[in-house]
Amino acid sequence: MTNAILAGLMLGGMYALTAMGLTLQYGVARIMNLSYGEFLIAAAFASYWLFTGWALSPFLGLAFVVPLAFVASFIVYRVLLTPLVNRARNRDALEVDSILATFGLTFIIQGAMLSMFGGAYHSYSFLAFPVELLGTTIAANRLAALAVAVLLGAMLYLALTKTRIGTAIRAVAVDPSAAQLVAIDVPRISALTFALGGALVAAAGVLVSTFLTFNASSGVVFTMKALIIVVMGGVGNILGCLIAGLALGLSESLVATLVDPGLTLAVNFALFLAVLLIKPAGLFGRAAR
Amino acid sequence: MLKVANLSVAYGQHRALDKVAVEIAQGEIVTILGANGAGKSSLLKAIAGVVKTLPGKQVSLGTHDLSSLPAHEIVERGLALVPEGRGIFGDLTVKENLLLGANPKRARDGEDIRREKVLTLFPRLRERSAQIARTMSGGEQQMLAIGRALMSNPDILLLDEPSLGLSPIMVHELFATLRRVREAGVGLLLVEQNAQESLAIADRGYVLENGSIVDHDSAENLKTKPAILRAYLGGEPAQT
Repeated sequence: MTNAILAGLMLGGMYALTAMGLTLQYGVARIMNLSYGEFLIAAAFASYWLFTGWALSPFLGLAFVVPLAFVASFIVYRVLLTPLVNRARNRDALEVDSILATFGLTFIIQGAMLSMFGGAYHSYSFLAFPVELLGTTIAANRLAALAVAVLLGAMLYLALTKTRIGTAIRAVAVDPSAAQLVAIDVPRISALTFALGGALVAAAGVLVSTFLTFNASSGVVFTMKALIIVVMGGVGNILGCLIAGLALGLSESLVATLVDPGLTLAVNFALFLAVLLIKPAGLFGRAAR
Repeated sequence: MLKVANLSVAYGQHRALDKVAVEIAQGEIVTILGANGAGKSSLLKAIAGVVKTLPGKQVSLGTHDLSSLPAHEIVERGLALVPEGRGIFGDLTVKENLLLGANPKRARDGEDIRREKVLTLFPRLRERSAQIARTMSGGEQQMLAIGRALMSNPDILLLDEPSLGLSPIMVHELFATLRRVREAGVGLLLVEQNAQESLAIADRGYVLENGSIVDHDSAENLKTKPAILRAYLGGEPAQT
């Protein structure tokens, strides 16, 4: 039982981390990024390549992969998405347009990864030894990944709530037309936030790659999970993201141990549906005015 | 001095404003009278850069040319808009709203002193500092909207229907506060349904009809003009 709860918390922590970038991209920049999971897998491959080719620890790899992902996402926003932003009559129209555009992007990234790494599953062995914790054993790489995830989440939360630029980011999420009245350059903040989301998902990709096997087409699973968590937690809400991620991880782990491992996906969507029925705007969301 | 000239706005085929010209000096309250749909809100939004204007507008504030600047740059030059419906960040706290008000670079120096002034002007905001803005009363939200705009250290403040939805007592209190804002050297351009109250505190007024300025005079003179009395003050001219 302790084992199941602990495993669930670890899983949930990773879920929360993988969803944090999407809640920024969707909540602030209003881009429903369907290629989100592909960015994650691309970062996982980058980490794999750095580790196997250059013997670089994934934690050091973060220092390369994360800034690179930030720049790449910024360029994607400026080149591919800005025309959509300028064209969209309102934010709902932008959402629909961005779904189509990023759906296309999914295939481009997937294709690039397929041609570079093939369709085979990849993994590498990093910190793959058991650790004793609260009477159960856990893989060290999972524990390390969780620690980094918690650190990143805490940093993001503090940055968003305690700094002026973080507050400005939340202001854009709340009301972009009022934001320009307090000298916030909304297009710039949107681009930066989208890029920040890209940096976060890359960090998640690197961490996930230390303990999961992945191939060029694994991205969609992460997009789906992240989307469920973002909607469950309330779009644009970091705290909601954390709670929803943990709830999902715990329920999966508990159901797998106590009932049947085959039911994890079912319990995922049951929980998702329950939240949508009771609180359509998410656990911490607020119905649109 | 804010100078606006040749400002036109069209929504599709509909011409909302036609070559409008207005001027406001610092330390002055100027009001715009006009019926619903006369283009009052469009005028303020166009000056603040929030709505697209037809080519040819000239807007300048002191030595700055604002004609082609986007809204967020206009705030940096010292012109702040309190939009109709207040435009505060409802999901953020009072404190955070005021912090964002001081987001323009021109407002960073002396931010603490200015916050103190705003909180003295609106003591209620000090009590409500940690409250989520949308959970406050309408009057308190209006105070926050004006307080936030003042945090940007404006030379000119544009106010769109600040008395809308407020109780008569609150309206009175609000206008007394606006007087004190003027005394601090800020110029106010005030759009109001409540012509009685706004003419009472204004120095000058413009009359806007169907997108054009049809009259411009001191508030004193406007109050006694028969056409103004009939249309905006709900009365008949006094018999002589």
